[in-house]
Amino acid sequence: MKERLSYTLLFVVISMGVMMGLIRPYLIETAQLTPFLTTRVFAQEMITRHTWGIVYYAASFMQSCLARPWLGASLLTTMLVAIAYVTRWATNLSDKCFGICWIVPFLLITRYAQMGYMVYVNKEIAIAFAWPLFTLLSLIVAGLLIKGLRYFFRNNKPQHQMSKALSRTLIFLSFIAFTGSAYLFWNQTYKDQNFLNSLQMKQAGEQGNWEQIIRLARENHQEPTRLQVCLNRLALYKTGKMGEQLFAFPDGSATYNAPEQQQWLRLMGAQLLYYNYGKTGFAYRWAMEDMVEYGMRPMYLRTLYRVALLNGETMLAKKYHQALCHTLFYKEETNDIEREAQTIRPLMNYTDQLDGDNGLVEFYLLQSFTLTKGGSREMVELSLMCSLITKQLEGFWPRFMALLPGWQGIIPIHYQEAALMVAQLQGGIDINTLPIDPQVRQRFERLVEVSAQMGDSANNAYNLKSEFGNTYWYYYFFVEGLKTT
Amino acid sequence: MKNYILFITALLLAACKPSVPEQAEATGRIPLILPDNSGATLPPNIAPLCFEILEEGDAYVTRLSTKKGEELIVDGCSLDISIEDWRRLMTAAVGDTLWTDVYVHKEGKWKSYNRIANPIVADSIDPYITYRLIRPSYVMYEELTLVERNTSNFDERIIYDNMPMSKGDKGQCINCHVPQQQGQSGRSQFHVRQAFGGTVLIDGSNIRKVNLKTDSTLSAGVYPAWHPTLNLIAYSVNETGQAFHTLDPQKIEVIDYASDLILYDAENNEVTSIERTANDFESFPTWSPDGRTLYYISAHHEPTGEDIDADLEQNYQSLHYNLYARDFDTSTKKFGPRRLIFDAESIGKSASTPRVSPDGHWLLFSLADYGQFHIWHKSADLWIMPIDSDDEPYMLSSANSPESDSYHSWSSNGRWILFSSRRMDGNYTRLYISYFDSSGHAHVPVLLPQQQPRLYDQLFRSFNAAEWMIRPIACNKKKLENCVRGNAQQARYAGPALLTPEEDQTTSNAKITKQNYHNIYENN
Repeated sequence: MKERLSYTLLFVVISMGVMMGLIRPYLIETAQLTPFLTTRVFAQEMITRHTWGIVYYAASFMQSCLARPWLGASLLTTMLVAIAYVTRWATNLSDKCFGICWIVPFLLITRYAQMGYMVYVNKEIAIAFAWPLFTLLSLIVAGLLIKGLRYFFRNNKPQHQMSKALSRTLIFLSFIAFTGSAYLFWNQTYKDQNFLNSLQMKQAGEQGNWEQIIRLARENHQEPTRLQVCLNRLALYKTGKMGEQLFAFPDGSATYNAPEQQQWLRLMGAQLLYYNYGKTGFAYRWAMEDMVEYGMRPMYLRTLYRVALLNGETMLAKKYHQALCHTLFYKEETNDIEREAQTIRPLMNYTDQLDGDNGLVEFYLLQSFTLTKGGSREMVELSLMCSLITKQLEGFWPRFMALLPGWQGIIPIHYQEAALMVAQLQGGIDINTLPIDPQVRQRFERLVEVSAQMGDSANNAYNLKSEFGNTYWYYYFFVEGLKTT
Repeated sequence: MKNYILFITALLLAACKPSVPEQAEATGRIPLILPDNSGATLPPNIAPLCFEILEEGDAYVTRLSTKKGEELIVDGCSLDISIEDWRRLMTAAVGDTLWTDVYVHKEGKWKSYNRIANPIVADSIDPYITYRLIRPSYVMYEELTLVERNTSNFDERIIYDNMPMSKGDKGQCINCHVPQQQGQSGRSQFHVRQAFGGTVLIDGSNIRKVNLKTDSTLSAGVYPAWHPTLNLIAYSVNETGQAFHTLDPQKIEVIDYASDLILYDAENNEVTSIERTANDFESFPTWSPDGRTLYYISAHHEPTGEDIDADLEQNYQSLHYNLYARDFDTSTKKFGPRRLIFDAESIGKSASTPRVSPDGHWLLFSLADYGQFHIWHKSADLWIMPIDSDDEPYMLSSANSPESDSYHSWSSNGRWILFSSRRMDGNYTRLYISYFDSSGHAHVPVLLPQQQPRLYDQLFRSFNAAEWMIRPIACNKKKLENCVRGNAQQARYAGPALLTPEEDQTTSNAKITKQNYHNIYENN
């Protein structure tokens, strides 16, 4: 009894600790990738289209609960504990060997926890709960069979008493089995910091919590992936800090810790980015493409609903709204969308065109805004910023001048930096007429002076980073190549 | 004692049976129901029109009745009518009307609504339809099935499921299933694209897969048209790409950058060319019922530069397809010269998917503002044209809606049109059946009935490329899957299929200079 309780407590602590403490954003993400609707049509589709559909249906229901991590993690842990206990019951193992019963629960939770980025392309239904549920049911059936057979073929031979040495060996082996499985779980759990940080950023974006994204970007001490860079840039735009801070953040292009590098930004970020940048057709497209490929998921429904609403497709929006209302935890997300839509509509002030992004989301957005002419103030600012990022400065002054009155004498710092630089490189304007901060002017003069004294470009890049790394000048001169993977 | 029990049981049963309220306050309007088929003309053999009453209330009674006195009274807000009850009502209502009266109990009193009337005609619909069940997809595919549905009940059979075959990069896409003469001959076909690419030909229980792509043709066969009697299939061959709207709710434009017509002789496994011109895009062939005329659409486009992709991307709205025809000699299997049948361009429109009625008198097609893939065009409507008179084509107003109405199929008796419409929500295609009377007018269509009234509301799939069938497909799913997995027999190219040689400009794949879009109809 004591052993059982100890192992159980230990397992619960490890399981809940890892899920709640380490991979909480992953749980939340899993839930929004899990199809579950409380409609008859969904139930029928799920149950009739798959062998053991009822198990998948139940597993999907439970997996949806990961949207409330405490609830989902508790459900999963409880099921895994049940598996250990049913294993013991089915195999008649003594308490001394109880540690062995935890091998399967650890393997099952490891299978789920190790997915990482692959969770987006996984087509298995209810990855976290289906296997545990199948295992539990199989064990119950197997246990009943074993017990039944034992009943009919009763062995009346007296049970041998176990020697103390054997008993100790079993206890030891049992403990080794438990700790080995626990280590495997810990070791295999996908703990990639950029991945977890990306998930937090994405989830904050979906909630419209843009400040949180910037905070997360600031707290991330690794080189960011393009997904993180893009999400942070979106947050900077949304909070009006793009012109002040964008080049102060690292322009990283860290490798995604997963195969097929080019797809993760598209799979994880395309819908959020396109929707918030007013390219609603493309947001809808990728939500639908993914729904075709990976099945209906709340994450896609959310985008489809928002876009339909923005497009004024009332009946379609109603359809998606009803579907969201039939999810377990995404009903309330349909509230307050109008406020969100008001921030996007100014970016939709352009003539529709036929286009294609070939899955290169960042590149498409940058090029699209760089080539944009006119439009709302928001579009002009994005256009200015994207032309700075892509270093295509031909249209700099018209955009800058269009925005100038709106700045009311306080030009965001990156635009001041760009204006000084473009005036120096291309001329075209008397820079003294612009309200440029004297400190920015001095900094620019110092950059010109210092870089002239130094050696080659690579040396300059290294030496000037500490002093000028947060300026547009540094980005323009020393950050090479447009990173859009 | 026994008698008492019988009496009480009978009393209880009588008490449970719903009855129409004696007094009800009239609302003066028809009730909100889902799906709303009010006014639709119905065939006598259609499956029950189950529906849900959307009016708020705490009790519901619905009476379905006929002039002959047959009636069915049902309670509850969701009507699940048994096939037997429905058949009894429909038999009594043939040549007359089926009436539906709805009563809703709310705040202590009953309310009545205006009577819903559905005319019932004697002409039956064909007993089966086949369609592809798919999400309204763009480029990707995977979860899609070919389904056979019994139209007189709710039985559905999956003929082919794309999922279990192979997934991801090794996956394949199946295209529209098209039978010869509503399946009367037992012949039908469908395409498989990408992995396992080829065209699957079904002839009764015999199945084989062929590769129709030859060095002399643009692509494998795309849009098929079975010759009504011979084992011949006319196909369009297309270089097709998709471009995406950044804002327009029409979302996608499916553009042909080049297209021609071929004839496939299934007996001899030979492909011949019907149309093979560089600046004319021919597509959607269809035969007259006597098999002596081939109708199709064609648009003329003079390229403005080398990059035809970019050119058409800019000018896609200037692509207007007209209706053409060529006579066909069934003995020589050769075609005569092209004839213009309907100049859609002259009225600023574009025609697509022509289909001739089984009696050969009517040409049904969809007409929109531009292009040929009208399922994505909100302006698409069904139009009809009398073939053997000089009368102008006209719109089938009662059948159409403000959303896309397209891809249609004639029933074997020529009295029913099965077509695709996005009228419910603008995005998901649903199947409607419209009565086409002898005077050439379509009636208010009925939505293909489903046992679950909310199915269309809750289903995120489109009913795609539907065709009438008079008998079920003979072969089973397993056999089809084995055939798809097997190798495709290569078809031979045997030159042009024209009586007199025409200027034969090769439509070259090399024209497609921009690599933005791959041909969505490539086999591999």
